[in-house]
Amino acid sequence: MRRRIPAAWITNAPMEAQLVGLPRARLGARGSRIASALLVFAATYSLSRAALAHTGTGLAGGFASGFRHPLGGSDHLLAMVSVGVWGAYLGPPLVHILPMVFPAMMVAGAMLGMFAVPLPPVELGVAISVLVLGSCIAMSFRAPVWAASSIVALFAVFHGYAHGKELPSAADPTGYSAGFVLATGLLHVAGICLGSLNGRPRGAIALRSLGGVIAGLGSWFVYRALGS
Amino acid sequence: MKGGIVPASLLFAALGLALASAPRVVRASSLLVLLATLTTFSCFRTPQAGQETAFSGCWIAVIATAMTVYWGRKLGPVAALALSVDAVIWANAVLSPNEAHLEPLKAASCTLIIVPATWAVRRFGSVPIRVVSSWVIAVAVLALGLQLLPVTLGYLPDHLE
Repeated sequence: MRRRIPAAWITNAPMEAQLVGLPRARLGARGSRIASALLVFAATYSLSRAALAHTGTGLAGGFASGFRHPLGGSDHLLAMVSVGVWGAYLGPPLVHILPMVFPAMMVAGAMLGMFAVPLPPVELGVAISVLVLGSCIAMSFRAPVWAASSIVALFAVFHGYAHGKELPSAADPTGYSAGFVLATGLLHVAGICLGSLNGRPRGAIALRSLGGVIAGLGSWFVYRALGS
Repeated sequence: MKGGIVPASLLFAALGLALASAPRVVRASSLLVLLATLTTFSCFRTPQAGQETAFSGCWIAVIATAMTVYWGRKLGPVAALALSVDAVIWANAVLSPNEAHLEPLKAASCTLIIVPATWAVRRFGSVPIRVVSSWVIAVAVLALGLQLLPVTLGYLPDHLE
């Protein structure tokens, strides 16, 4: 006998689950499949753990370690997905300018971190980035090109600084940097895929709600950063 | 631990991205020249003393090659051939003498990114390859920055070496 899922479970599900659960006919089969696949991948990845072989060197690994880094911290992950979602919402040319500005300025930040140039509290900067980018999505803020690029560039410096401080101690710094740049880029692409739901019925509401959730989590990160 | 396979692979990947928007004849001739040059240069190896310079040069070549996708025009035949030869020279320079003979071929296989990149250019225009090239440039700039650091723990020999 097949079990039916009670309707209450669906309505009480988190926003992401509801986003996936929106009627396929309305979302379009392809958009829905991509969003589902991304969310399943993110959920699976967040539950996975590193293999325990050869962990005694004390140095972080190369490509895999760098790739895992932006995915491991929820603040980094949410900020990078938000950049993609916001870019998709703003449309051309920002949909491709933002994913180019972010890595470029992240590298600038990483260089500052590598050379230990002092910067205002980085954790607070990263936390504020989640809050601001989430708020921009939630409020459907249609920023001009220069403003959106500047906002993303500023926050990318903080994210890059956090990565750059750890970079020189990686076992294979080049592999590490390739991993984290690729992961960052793919998170932007994931955000753009999610942001493309904006054109669908109820998609705008779902995205604004997602932005609200991200901004809420950003507030929590800011509170935590101020407390530490 | 500092292998030359990563910079060499990224250089060939950048070349693949750069050639993606070139006309078909230019793409084909560049790839042929790439294979021919690769076969010719595979006998030569950079001496150990010049390795640091070779790495810096290779990263600069990666940046320069990836930057060509931001040109407003399509890549001409001379520029495409020059990029192919340049990629082989720098890739060969960073692959150390101890590494297997198949290493240059493995690295050169990254040029195959040209297949999805060409498809992306036809389908979406130059935007996707510009985005991916920006990632390649970011990695190269970071790696070049690492070269300037006085001591990089990751580059010291570990207990396996």
